Amino acid sequence: MGLGAVVVLTMEKDTGVYAGTDGQQQPLVAQPLGCVDVLGRPIVERTIQHLLNAGVEKVTLLTSKDVFRNCPSLANRLDKVEVQLVDNPYSAVNHMLSRYAEDGIDQAFVLADNVYAETDLLDFVYFHREAKKGITRAFDQEGPLDLWVVDCADFSRFDLEKMGAADGDAASYFIAGYVHRLLHPGDLRAIIADSLRGICAMRPCGQEVRPGIWVDEGAEIDRRARIVAPAYIGCHTRVREDALVTRCSSIERDCCIDFGTIVEDSSILANTRVGIWLDVRHAVASGNKLLSLKHDVLLRIADPNVMRFNGILPNEETNDPSGNRERAAHPVVSKIQPEAAPERWQLGANLIQG
Amino acid sequence: MNPSYPVVVMEVPSALNNLEGQAFFQEIQPLLETDRPRIVLDCSQLQHVDSAGIEILLHCIEEAMKRDGDVKLAAVSPASVAILELMRVDRLFEIFDTVEEATRSFHAVAAPETPQTLPWYSGNYRLGEAKAS
Repeated sequence: MGLGAVVVLTMEKDTGVYAGTDGQQQPLVAQPLGCVDVLGRPIVERTIQHLLNAGVEKVTLLTSKDVFRNCPSLANRLDKVEVQLVDNPYSAVNHMLSRYAEDGIDQAFVLADNVYAETDLLDFVYFHREAKKGITRAFDQEGPLDLWVVDCADFSRFDLEKMGAADGDAASYFIAGYVHRLLHPGDLRAIIADSLRGICAMRPCGQEVRPGIWVDEGAEIDRRARIVAPAYIGCHTRVREDALVTRCSSIERDCCIDFGTIVEDSSILANTRVGIWLDVRHAVASGNKLLSLKHDVLLRIADPNVMRFNGILPNEETNDPSGNRERAAHPVVSKIQPEAAPERWQLGANLIQG
Repeated sequence: MNPSYPVVVMEVPSALNNLEGQAFFQEIQPLLETDRPRIVLDCSQLQHVDSAGIEILLHCIEEAMKRDGDVKLAAVSPASVAILELMRVDRLFEIFDTVEEATRSFHAVAAPETPQTLPWYSGNYRLGEAKAS
């Protein structure tokens, strides 16, 4: 009575694409939203970990070559997962379920990367077995989710491409816990805020150096920068003098927040450099793109001094002309010094306000 | 501000970058050099603005304020507002949805018709008598 899981990772549903007010379809990020780092780890990685913790023996990630090319770090992170590169991930689900049946796996979760659900997965499986319908689909208050439990032997009835065409025969499992759909980059912002506020069980990576302030490995925060809880500073990220990070903001790995810039109620995605004396509010930024959630518009910043991908230009600090940042050059332990009392003359040396 | 001064509405080009911005500034400069310039910049055509464009807008408001005037923005697209906010410039300008609202705003907060001509410490205020009493 083994358990398996098939995770479908695709951009076919435009999960990573945001339509600007001018009607142009512009992607904020090139990969599916489930693969974007959220507080240190992608949602899909967290979901797979959740599946493995629930006793799922075999997890297969179905994705296309194009999507996988845009998620280079995913393969390294998912060592216990079989990755299948296929042309159409949805149509490959049935084939995968038949293979599971041959391998002696009776039931399998089938889920898309656009769902983050906190529920007791074993309870879901027990419900499915008792319902005896072959297919059980998860629901929440807003409607059906792209999350099923199916009998692998009954895979022919399962038609994921039609997204619920088999619903008439399917049992419904209601999830009362925290559920979030990743359909828009703004959903990333919402889930980050929920996590930092403790509304959901997802926790940031790294250490909680002050109540509500999470700092990941190798992050450098200047003494004159201010981090107001709750906030997350990612791996090898630099927050420079007079910068302010506040109101549930997150700065993912390998970012730089330059002198005097304010990041308020915003998420800076990985490898982004934000220039000096800027005001990033109610936004999600990635590289040279900024999605203003307040104005519902996506900006592409042409001036690299304002915003750009980090690490492309030479590193000013190390005078490295190649522009490659050597991680080993950074200290393993965060430069933050929570116990050091500020000198009397150092105005603004109050690093963190919990 | 005396309402008798005219309010000038000027259209901002679709791109406000270094090149277009210089041409735009040459066009607006004579207006900024008048007494108490009251200018509404119609940004309805504005689609692209960069750091150089922002600098020109700042230069405009600086020149206007030197002469006790003001520059207000109207019909600014959400993308342009987002850029102004990113650059921390939005708080320097009054931004209105329409040109009419911006024009009306100049009249709404007009100063009294008869400006005070005498300083408060002049004899007409009888400060001497007040002191003696």
